[in-house]
Amino acid sequence: MIRGVVACGLACLAVALPAGAQSIAIEGTHSAGASSEELAAVGTQLRVFGDAGETLRGLRFQIEGSWGWRSEDEGDFFGAAYPYGGAVDLMEAYGEYVVEHRGWVRAVKGGRYRTPFGISAASDHAYIGFLRAPLIRYGEYYALSNMYLEQGADVVIGKPRLSVEGSVGAPGDVGEAIRRPGTTAVVRTQAVLGAWVLGASYIDTTPYMPARFASGRARFGGVDVRWMSDGVLARGEWLGGQPFEGTRTTGGYADLIVHRPAMGPVTAFGRAERLVYDAIPPFALSTHRYTAGARIRLWRTVALSTGVVYQGGQLTQHRRTAFDLGLSGSWRRNF
Amino acid sequence: MAIEAAPAVDEVHGVARVAGRPHKDVVVWLDEVPGPPPAAPGRVVLDQRNLRFLPHVMAVRVGTRVEMPNNDRVFHNVFSFKDGKRFDLGLYPVGTSKIVDFDKPGLSRIFCNIHPTMAAYVIAVASTHIAVSDADGRFVLSDVPPGRYPYHAWRPGVETMSGTLTVAAGQPVEVGLP
Repeated sequence: MIRGVVACGLACLAVALPAGAQSIAIEGTHSAGASSEELAAVGTQLRVFGDAGETLRGLRFQIEGSWGWRSEDEGDFFGAAYPYGGAVDLMEAYGEYVVEHRGWVRAVKGGRYRTPFGISAASDHAYIGFLRAPLIRYGEYYALSNMYLEQGADVVIGKPRLSVEGSVGAPGDVGEAIRRPGTTAVVRTQAVLGAWVLGASYIDTTPYMPARFASGRARFGGVDVRWMSDGVLARGEWLGGQPFEGTRTTGGYADLIVHRPAMGPVTAFGRAERLVYDAIPPFALSTHRYTAGARIRLWRTVALSTGVVYQGGQLTQHRRTAFDLGLSGSWRRNF
Repeated sequence: MAIEAAPAVDEVHGVARVAGRPHKDVVVWLDEVPGPPPAAPGRVVLDQRNLRFLPHVMAVRVGTRVEMPNNDRVFHNVFSFKDGKRFDLGLYPVGTSKIVDFDKPGLSRIFCNIHPTMAAYVIAVASTHIAVSDADGRFVLSDVPPGRYPYHAWRPGVETMSGTLTVAAGQPVEVGLP
């Protein structure tokens, strides 16, 4: 209900603004893939976004819907940033007002948006090339999910090189891990130092497990870092906290993404990650995973992604190694 | 291919047409124009906003330094790998900017390595008289005295065309491309 009201409100806002002053884009992304874990998946996302132009300078909006289907629920293949449960989901739907004055940025966002904890933008996970979310960001591994969405208000204050962000709202998640109703607060700070981008985040929210199993609150703190130079991007996140009372999850990942001009349309990437869920047996989980792959831009917006995954420990997947393949294409219309 | 010149002697107004219709983003430049060149533009910006490069087509003289600010709400990774200037600016955050020096002639196809629908063209030419047509196909070349000049025209998706242009007072010009 709330999702529909938010989406309709933003759609009305987009229509109500003087047509000549707007900059509106519609973008679609379609993808399909398969894994040697005997999984196949297809998905599509449609988003409408833009700004009010000179009419109300600084006002932007985004509405995004997603549909995805996966042949099996077991495993986390293809779930990097969007759900694959076979339903149409409203993802982000927000309006944002950004004021820039003398190098200072103040942004207020209201509506439905991805939880601003760590490296959290959809494009950070969906289009880099990885076909799986990091273990600490896959919903059912007792940490945080890339499909967590907040329904509330978000404020960013600072300069491009040092900012603080705060969000207060209620969970509006999609996917397999759906947090219980309640309140959520997220605080994040980010600093840019030369080639380094450093971040620290904290979240206080409701657990996604049923109340009879998981009492108390979910609380996590995390740090993230990105370094980039000459087409080489290194990034990583580490978080720790309690998914619910009496338990603890720690883990993180480190990515290396290489795209030098001499590599042409090929982007190579690798990931090493670890996750430990400390709980009473048999629920405890300790696992690690290594991924190597490449994304190849085939033609215009069409790209092929491949990945070889080696996983150890106690994952829900049954195979130690997996080979993933995905094909995606996008289109865009500007109005 | 034909070009029409406007009443002002030193300012050539023209219309670019593709298949007979006015066409946006056609680049036209002249060679061997006598006299001092027009002043170089102060700040040349290829903006990133709403997951889009603005403008979509940019024409600069060789040696121009182009600023590429990220005025979007997400990180971008701007690169060009094929022809022209080859570079990869890496991932850079909202509110920051990087500069690319287009120090040799050629066509650079600009992409974002994260957002597949983002694309732009920057064509660097060894000319000081360059114009890009607007949404109505119109363009203006400044500081061009009457005479005959070699000219070139290009738009995304086609090879550069060349010919000779006669600039005469009071005569608009027209460029046609396939």
